[in-house]
Amino acid sequence: MLRLAGVTVRYGGTAALDGVDLTVAPGERVALLGASGAGKSTLLAVANGSVAPTAGAVRVLGGSPADRRVRARVGTVHQSLELVGRLRVVHNVNAGLLADWSAARAAWSLVRPQGLPEVLAALERVGLADRAFERTERLSGGQRQRVALARLLVQRPDLVLADEPASALDPVLADRALTLLGETAAARGGALVAALHDPALVRRHCDRVVGLAGGRVVLDRPVAGVSAADLGGLYGAVP
Amino acid sequence: MTATLPRPVHRAAPRLRRDRRRWAWGLGAAALLVWSLAGAGSSGGGVVNPGGTAQLARFAAAAWDPALDAPYLGVLARSVLVTVAHAAAGTALALVVGAAGAVLVSRAAGGRRWAARGLLAVPRGLHEAVWGLLLVNVLGLDPWVAVLAIGLPAGAATAQVFAALVDEVPREAYRALLAAGAGRPAAALYGLLPPAAGGLLSYAAYRLECAVRSAVVLGMVGAGGLGYQLALSFASLRWAQVWTAVYALAALSLLAELGGRAARRRLAAPPPSPSERRDPVLTAAAAGTVVLVGWSAWYLALSPASLVSAGTAEQLAYLSAAAWPPATDGGLLRTVAGLAVDTVQVSVLAVAVALPGALLLAGPAARAERPTPARRVTGALVRGGLLLLRTVPAPVWALVALFVLRPGVLPGALALAAGTLGVLGRLAAEVTEELDPRPRAALAALGARPVGAWLYGVAPRAAGPVLAHALHRWEVAVRDTVLVGLLGAGGLGALLATELATFDWAAVTTVLAAVVVLTWAVDVVSDRARAALR
Repeated sequence: MLRLAGVTVRYGGTAALDGVDLTVAPGERVALLGASGAGKSTLLAVANGSVAPTAGAVRVLGGSPADRRVRARVGTVHQSLELVGRLRVVHNVNAGLLADWSAARAAWSLVRPQGLPEVLAALERVGLADRAFERTERLSGGQRQRVALARLLVQRPDLVLADEPASALDPVLADRALTLLGETAAARGGALVAALHDPALVRRHCDRVVGLAGGRVVLDRPVAGVSAADLGGLYGAVP
Repeated sequence: MTATLPRPVHRAAPRLRRDRRRWAWGLGAAALLVWSLAGAGSSGGGVVNPGGTAQLARFAAAAWDPALDAPYLGVLARSVLVTVAHAAAGTALALVVGAAGAVLVSRAAGGRRWAARGLLAVPRGLHEAVWGLLLVNVLGLDPWVAVLAIGLPAGAATAQVFAALVDEVPREAYRALLAAGAGRPAAALYGLLPPAAGGLLSYAAYRLECAVRSAVVLGMVGAGGLGYQLALSFASLRWAQVWTAVYALAALSLLAELGGRAARRRLAAPPPSPSERRDPVLTAAAAGTVVLVGWSAWYLALSPASLVSAGTAEQLAYLSAAAWPPATDGGLLRTVAGLAVDTVQVSVLAVAVALPGALLLAGPAARAERPTPARRVTGALVRGGLLLLRTVPAPVWALVALFVLRPGVLPGALALAAGTLGVLGRLAAEVTEELDPRPRAALAALGARPVGAWLYGVAPRAAGPVLAHALHRWEVAVRDTVLVGLLGAGGLGALLATELATFDWAAVTTVLAAVVVLTWAVDVVSDRARAALR
């Protein structure tokens, strides 16, 4: 599903990832843990092809993330959502289908939204169907996060990557959002890799924990075997 | 069972509602365009003049063989210094006037918007060349003529753009500061100015570039410098010399542009500094600018005394008496009205031709983050082409167009479209460069094709600012139409030139009033349209 071998990413002189080896199998639900700057976002960016590694090899779904057809099967919920505020909600959700669309269809859809039933069904699942035609910038932070989830739902990815997908949601919504992500991945027998901070969410929704510190993998074990001291160590707290 | 997030009580089924206001503006723009096209076609007897193609070919061929003899280069070098001095001093004046004016016009400052706009409409509504011709009649052949002619209208335009840039900044931070008890000026300083600073500086640099062009145009109406050489060479059909002057102009504009860009980048992303010292490069640039302005004043021998001399006051009093009241006879008014219609049609066509071109070229012209060698070459070529288009003054393009087109709305529109495309293409490229790259990258990450990622990730965010720039250019095009006329291409400008030559000051006032009212009307319409776009 996802295989990183000796992956290093350098920004200028600093290494955001430093020789990371990681393999994720179909059906796994992996939580990425680590303090801010530990390399979680960079790891996810390498996996979806946004960032090319300085060294090492990346295989995603049996191909290279540089291949557009491979990327089309990888869905990402970004930390800052990366929605276009000036577009209506329906267009931002439809953007999840851009990989399958010709340029002409993409352009026409801005005039007459294509695949409306699917979009509305996805919005229904995130509880935003009645805001479908509103400008996205008029929505609250939590609502925008749900638009990003809906975009992922219409994309139907095999591999789901999520960078702090619950950061703007209240505890109940956060819990449901994680369930939604897990189901989206499971629907096609895929995997979920999510950067998370909340230990409760990790225990409920993931079965494996990968801890990062200074760009290296420092912890990799089933969630049941992770202790409070392990977490304290990851976040630099004195045990 | 599949998970769903809770949703509010379901209201009526959602429906796609078009924004009626924006549709109305779109239809209005289309109607205006059709009307202008009809005007361009109705000038009677064919628009193409096949007899001029040989001359056009000779002109084009000379582009590869510019005049490079030492005496001409010497003359040109001295002309460049005069033009630089005019441009630098004029820009300095424009920025001072603009900063002060922006405080009056800005919504953020709670300014008396319409009153201030009315005040700015008069200096802004008249082209630099018109100011030049008027000021020559007051000050005589004084170096202040060029500096004031550049600085006054540019200052008024700067005031409006500065105010718009500050007003377009998201207000949350500013409101938060006000809510925390900060005073308006302090809140503006921390919450409005920093996000707008990049745009303000960029516009100031752009203003310097404009001032170079204005200085050249003023040269063409007699203030000396590069424009004067250009006009002389053009009038004597020395195409090789014309191209040398054009290349000199392009080099000057490029210098102004590169300097501005470097400063803007430095401000946006300063290098990490271990101490609290100011950035030495920016400090040097600021000091260099001050020195340049000082040198300009010295080189041109600008003396404040000539502004307040008895002769100046006397001449001003005489002109004021002769110019008031304006001429109101029916024949003149009918002529003015007819020419005003031509002017609007020319300006609409110019923008209508330039805008699609600018949108097409904005992508290639914008600097890519990680360009391939081919992309780099294309980018440089497109940017060079746009620079040449906006560097060559509109009257020169008009003369070139008149080689092969009969006088009328069309050659004027094409001449103005060339310069408008040059400016708008660059502005559109800058808009795309300054957008947050992440939404587009996110779409690329989910496998979108480049066109799809551009349509959904870039176009919706760039459309508003680019259309706003296009509307600004429409106002500029109206003024430039007068300039092109002033140098012989007909319209309100030609009428103004005749009235000035015959010292019919009452008629001059009428024509000037018509120009100001026209510019003001276009300004109001374009401002409403921009508001609908937000």
